Amino acid sequence: MLQAVLSGIPLTLGVTFVALVIGTAVSMPLLAGTLSKHRIPWLISRGVIDLLRGVPIVVWLFIFYYGVTIGPTKLSPFGAAVLGLGLVSGAYLAEIFRGAVSSVAAGQYEAGRALGFTNVDLWRAVIAPQAWRVAIPGYTTYGIGLLKDSSIASTIGVAEMVFASGNYARTSGEGITVFMVAAAVYILVSVPVGLLSRMADERLSRTVAQ
Amino acid sequence: MIELPEERFPGRDAKVTVRHLAKSFGDNVVLEDIDMTVLEGTVTAMIGPSGAGKSTVLRCLNLLERPDSGTIDISGHRIDAESRFTNRQLYALRREAGMVFQHFNLFPHMSVMRNVTLPQQRILGRSKAEAEQKSHELLTRMGLGDKGSQYPNRCSGGQQQRIAIARALALEPTVMLFDEPTSSLDPEVGVEVLEVMHELANEGMTMIVVTHEMGFARTVSDDLVVMADGRIIEQGEPKRIMEDPSHPRTQDFLRAVLQR
Repeated sequence: MLQAVLSGIPLTLGVTFVALVIGTAVSMPLLAGTLSKHRIPWLISRGVIDLLRGVPIVVWLFIFYYGVTIGPTKLSPFGAAVLGLGLVSGAYLAEIFRGAVSSVAAGQYEAGRALGFTNVDLWRAVIAPQAWRVAIPGYTTYGIGLLKDSSIASTIGVAEMVFASGNYARTSGEGITVFMVAAAVYILVSVPVGLLSRMADERLSRTVAQ
Repeated sequence: MIELPEERFPGRDAKVTVRHLAKSFGDNVVLEDIDMTVLEGTVTAMIGPSGAGKSTVLRCLNLLERPDSGTIDISGHRIDAESRFTNRQLYALRREAGMVFQHFNLFPHMSVMRNVTLPQQRILGRSKAEAEQKSHELLTRMGLGDKGSQYPNRCSGGQQQRIAIARALALEPTVMLFDEPTSSLDPEVGVEVLEVMHELANEGMTMIVVTHEMGFARTVSDDLVVMADGRIIEQGEPKRIMEDPSHPRTQDFLRAVLQR
């Protein structure tokens, strides 16, 4: 039984990791748009973020699974899952990062500009590192949430942990036990990640309290 | 009464020239037709009630604030607010002017050494070794030679401000702009910072200092500018203005400040 549950782990971690990578990449242009002083990129970013967040993830997965074709072939369940979860993550992460960026004091921009930093250097050396430290807790919390949300991929047939557990439950009739085991595995993965993030956060805030 | 420094110190070259500077935020006129000249090697103190526009003048000089109109010239780098200018021109102007802020604005995620070193590497293209040597030299001069590996939040306010001065000086500006450098410091700590500024003035640095420190304005500055309501209402010899102000607003302001 344990083996049946564990057989889903690679895809659970795989979906989570790839979706997080896609989400982080997607969040960057969205973040740039929401921070923009120009109307058009701001409107586009806001529109995309609200659209992505306004529809349940499971609906996005079905849309990508049934709706997106590359040439004659449909997206694979895995492809549809990471694309859907990745895009939605991009929207949420953009908001987390935007909050972090706006927490950086205005004086930091002024000091950098007065010194003569170019905008790129100001961003790279001064703003982004400070914003990143603020974003770490929110980012890892989101990552842990995504680990659990990756179970939604089971609805389109990705054989991750919940899918594997469900299969086993149907054939063996030991439904409760198998899902209890799955729950324990989720906890075993997410708690240490959260702990690590809190430790990192504490260490950073000791050296660079605002 | 306005006595221009170019009349009081004939033969000195202008380092900073501001002409017809104007700035509004919406309907609120913050600066109105400011003309100002700062001569090489002199210290200009700017005083006046809060909201008079002193800090805005300073922030317009290095384009932290974009003026609506007027021209700014620092060491021959000239920008006309009403015409287009390139980023290259902007960076060139900012390179001439070092700025020190009321709240220090050190980079909290970098060690003291890196605060002073990184701008040299990025802006002047100095090597790390070269920049670190310069930083060490300046920090030592500020009495902070042993603070390099600390983070700014471990330093006192007075130390942080001196680090900020070192960070600005490391880029070898030709003018230093001080925006109320001691206003967020306890008086006895502010003295450390004022001493450093006094030394800098003695070495011939051209400085513009927005301040409420009347003692500093009186004894260190060569030229005193009094502002009120976005205009320069009085300018000239600091001792003369402090002892015998001619504008009624200057009289009110000095009475209020000196009585404290």
